[in-house]
Amino acid sequence: MDALTAELIKLKRSLAWPIVIGLPVVLVLAGAATQLADGTTPEDGWDTVWLQSVGFYGLFPLAVGIAVLGSLVWRVEHRGSNWNALMSSPASSLRIVVAKAAVIAGLTALMQIILYLSVLAIGKLAFSLEGMPDSQHLSITALLVVATVPAAVLQSGLSMLMRSFAVPIAVALLASGFSTAALMVAGNAALVSPYGLATRTALLGTGSFVDEGTITGGDVAAILIAAALGTVVLVLCTTAVLEHRDTRV
Amino acid sequence: MSSAIVETTNLTKRYGRHIVVENLNLHIPAGCVYGFLGPNGAGKSTTMKMLLSLIQPSTGQVELMGRPMSRSSRRELLGDIGSLIEAPPGYAHLTGAENMALVKRLLGLTTEQIDVAVRAVRLQDQMTKQVRDYSLGMKQRLGIAMALAREPKLLILDEPTNGLDPAGIEEMRTLLRRLADDGVTVMVSSHLLGEIDKTADMLGILSGGRMIFQGSRAELMAASTPDVVFTCTDPHAAAAVLRGHGAQLTEADEVTVPGLDDRQTAGVVAALVGQGVGVFGVRRDEQTLEEVFMSLTAGGRL
Repeated sequence: MDALTAELIKLKRSLAWPIVIGLPVVLVLAGAATQLADGTTPEDGWDTVWLQSVGFYGLFPLAVGIAVLGSLVWRVEHRGSNWNALMSSPASSLRIVVAKAAVIAGLTALMQIILYLSVLAIGKLAFSLEGMPDSQHLSITALLVVATVPAAVLQSGLSMLMRSFAVPIAVALLASGFSTAALMVAGNAALVSPYGLATRTALLGTGSFVDEGTITGGDVAAILIAAALGTVVLVLCTTAVLEHRDTRV
Repeated sequence: MSSAIVETTNLTKRYGRHIVVENLNLHIPAGCVYGFLGPNGAGKSTTMKMLLSLIQPSTGQVELMGRPMSRSSRRELLGDIGSLIEAPPGYAHLTGAENMALVKRLLGLTTEQIDVAVRAVRLQDQMTKQVRDYSLGMKQRLGIAMALAREPKLLILDEPTNGLDPAGIEEMRTLLRRLADDGVTVMVSSHLLGEIDKTADMLGILSGGRMIFQGSRAELMAASTPDVVFTCTDPHAAAAVLRGHGAQLTEADEVTVPGLDDRQTAGVVAALVGQGVGVFGVRRDEQTLEEVFMSLTAGGRL
């Protein structure tokens, strides 16, 4: 808990905040841009706003967003001799890995919440849609919070290993593309990829790409199991790497 | 002073065929200030990183506070060890106070422990500033405060006087001395003897990855062999006679001969007298510690 509190202090004045707020807002605006320009309203109301915002967001911007957050959170450790100070503290490697991943996963969760609120805002304020989005959308948002944890752990591990800010982001972009292709070919088997898991969850109920439009209990169970297993395996692997890794000379 | 807080046995680090540190046997008595000296690139930082288990030795062992230092034991041991390796640590986007708050959280310290450490480096008036606006000297002092806050038994400082002005260096000396008086063992590295020789009880000199001297200042002086200076009736003739010994004529018309022990000195006097040169003065040249250090590290001898 102390390691996590320490990580939260590091978020003060961090560039992570503009990403957490800006990325979902921009994507929701981009999704609605055509209708806003034409002065039309979305054909299927809330479902259309959701599909054009969250559907696209789940394809690759979500993975890129998590990767940027990972690079930002680890960047400060690669500066000066902060790495030496971090590794010379009595905090165990597991605590360090869990705290960093929790911060990235937490910021990602905030991003999902802001995405939902942005969909709500654009539907109400720009398109004057009636009522509220389907409760299913809120459930998918909650599921997305859980389903993006393995990607957050993996990106945290990559940014821990690489001093480069951009390379982990490029990895996320490529892996996200491959994972979407794998989802189309292999279905839920591609949930072993944290990026595939995030994309599959974001597309739930949209009927686009890899989704058939109806959400089954099997789909949700597969997502939850993949998220839990992926998180545990990736945390353990990242901890083992950190524990045995030498600092740079 | 006799029980060792740091003990290494044949500590070696190599990268491929390049040996950075070779068969190092460090012995740091508890409660002393240990000056770890050597030119840049001698392997001082690598050694300190091995002591902290930041890098793993290729061969050899490290024992700290009587316990083997390894990846499995390091987190337990590190609670009692404060360190500052290479550049000073610190998150530039945070204030000094926020950086210390991090240390407090991570190490489970009290506000008082933090305040004492900050006051010890006299940084209490700069704590609301972001670290990016600190001078190098202030960053160095913050790094030391971060290392001190846990009230360590062992403090490992790598070139802590880098970036400090003469007043700052003097302050650092006083601080290290005071810590040692309070029972903290301090290992401090430098490539400049003058910066730590007045503070250190023990000196270890590293050159090319090998320990070329370890002991007290007096032992270091004794271990070196100062030139012998001859004052005689005919210095030019004496220099010619002793050319084979590497003799040199000084501006004061004295003849200096390097590397002579007492028995050889007697032989040289006899040789000069045998050649008809009257000898009326024989003495050892006075060397400063700096000169001894320079000659040792340049020649890699001892």
